[in-house]
Formats: sequence, structure tokens, C-alpha cells
Amino acid sequence: MNKQLEESFVKQLEENQNIVHKICRLYTHDQDSHNDLFQEVTIQLWRAFPKFRGDSKFSTWMYRVALNTAITLYRKSKRRVSTQDFESISFKIKAEEYDETVELQLKQMYSAVKKLNDIDKALVFLYLEDKSYKEISETLGITEVNARVKMNRTKEKLRKILNP
Amino acid sequence: MDNLDILKKEWQSREQELPKISYNDIYKMLLKKSSSIVKWIFVISVAELLFWISIQLLIPEKNMEVMNEMGLADILFYSNFVHFSVFILFIFYFYKNFKSIQVTDNTKMLMNNILKTRKTVKYFVYYNVGIFILSSIVVDFFLYYNSEHLFEIMDFASQGISQENFASVFIISQIVVGVIVLGLLILFYWLVYGFLLRKLNRNYLELKKMDH
Repeated sequence: MNKQLEESFVKQLEENQNIVHKICRLYTHDQDSHNDLFQEVTIQLWRAFPKFRGDSKFSTWMYRVALNTAITLYRKSKRRVSTQDFESISFKIKAEEYDETVELQLKQMYSAVKKLNDIDKALVFLYLEDKSYKEISETLGITEVNARVKMNRTKEKLRKILNP
Repeated sequence: MDNLDILKKEWQSREQELPKISYNDIYKMLLKKSSSIVKWIFVISVAELLFWISIQLLIPEKNMEVMNEMGLADILFYSNFVHFSVFILFIFYFYKNFKSIQVTDNTKMLMNNILKTRKTVKYFVYYNVGIFILSSIVVDFFLYYNSEHLFEIMDFASQGISQENFASVFIISQIVVGVIVLGLLILFYWLVYGFLLRKLNRNYLELKKMDH
């Protein structure tokens, strides 16, 4: 039974691992920390898995646990030796649409998002993932109205980071 | 369309670039140990509980004999009874609070539960420090006013200490030791919890600010 549970969990996590990787990229600055956070999220997900009743999608449930781990539970590891340029993620745009200006804009925007505080980052992440304000408010534990207000303020913050 | 919406448009297409962890590697991760803040608070709290319990048990036998001869045995027995009942109550709340921490709660509730747990441990420490100060004051006063009797019991005369100096030296050394212990305790909590909870407190305040 336990073996079955393990297999079902690992399979679902393997299929949905992109969600965790995206959160790890937003909340860490090097590959080691990324791996540490991924591992911690996996442990927290596995611990909570017996209580996952399947009344929501596995992926929806994952957003909450992974974000909670990144914002609340995770303690950054000390071994931050290599600060490899993690910001320089390339946004591969199809060859025919390739436009240097757009790619530069995307990179700048992404690094601006990374400069936000943990909570603002969570808001932006859920927005980028196309989550409704209802879902955002339920994940973070604030009201829907406040989630909207906060999102507008965060957009303003981003504008200021990009155009100081 | 603002820049964030441009990023949103491209967000999903970026997925191919994300690392892929194999089924087997994920499987191996299930066996790894967590290093979350909750685990650390739990480990440190258990260490604190053990510390205060062992302090009670480590009081030398000779001290107890002196207390008995000074006529404090009954008072010590009843106060210890009350003290350990309070201890058990704290351990109960401590366990109950830890059980209430659910990583599947919304972020604000999760933070709230962690801080509530921390608060229980904090009150436990306040209680212990408070009892430490209070009992030191009461016992020191009692011993000071009965210093002649204490002088005889401890047989300080044979160690060449004069009775005139004894009372004041005794009370001053008690106060100095008490203040040093207290200072070390405060420093320990400030370092450990200040360090552990800095990020959590900051994020909790940020979320609370949003709802005002």
C-alpha cells in the first residue's frame, strides 16, 4: 500500500515538476539552492500527500505546498559559493519571431520580478501562471479584493524597478 | 500590454528549458531529511524542554540537604509539584501547536500557526526565567535573613570565612551569578530565534499589511 502511494506520488510529481522548478528559479539565485529548495518542496509534498484527497487537482495542491515551502519554511543553505548568472535565462522565442528588443525586455522584467520581496514574488508567480484572483487569494490567505489591489501595487513596483 | 503581460505570454514557452529530474532521483529525495524552519524550531524547543528539566534534576544533593535543614523542604515540595504541573501543561500545548502546522494551509494561516507555536515556547521560556528570578529572590531573602543558621549548617567557619562578611558576600555572589545566567539566556534566544524567524516575521508582516 505504502509502495503504491510512493509510486503514485513520484509519478505525479515527475509529471508536474515544472511548477516546482519555476518556483525554485524565482526564489533562489544559484543551482545549489535551487536543488535544495526542490528537495525540501518534495519532502513537504510527500509528508502532506496522505492528506491530499484529490478534491482538487494535484497541480493546484502543489502550488500551495511549494509556495508555502519557498516563502515560509525554507531556510537558505549557507553554501552559496557559486553565484552563477541565473538571471540570464534565455527566453527562446521562435526563430521567425526573434526580436532582440523583446528578449531584452523579457530578461529585464524577469530580473525585476526576482528583486521583489517573497510575497510580491508569489503574487506575480501566480499571475504569470494564469491563476484567477480567487485562487491567488485562497493560496495566500488574503481577500480577493486585497489580492487585486496588491497586484496593482506590485505592477507599480516593477515599473519603478525597471524605470528608476 | 505592459511588460509583465509580455512575460506572461512567454512564460509557458520557457518550460522546455527547465531542468528535468528523473523518477528515480525524485524517489531518492523522499528518503532525505527536511531542513525546514519548523523542524529547527521543533528541535530547538525540545532541547529547551530537556534543558529546563535537566536543570531541575541536576540540583546537587547537598543543596537539597541544606534546604531541608533550613526548613524549606515542604515549601520546595509543593512548589515543585505546581512547577511540574505547569511543565506538563506546556508540553501538551507545545505538542498540540506543532500538530496544527499544516503545509497545505494558506500561507498566512501557516505562518500564523508557526508563530503561535513559537509563542508557546516563548511563554515557556518566560515562565522558566520568571520562576528562576522569583525563586532566587525569595530563597536569597530567606537565606539572608537566616544567614546565621545557614553559616552554621554550611560550616563556613572551618573554611576561615567570617560571619560578618558572609551574608553580604553570599547575596552579592547570588545576584552576580543570576544576572550572568539571565544575560546568557537572553543572548541565546536573541541569536537563535532572531536568526531563525527573521524571514518568516518579515513575510508575515507583509501579508498582514495587505489585509489592512
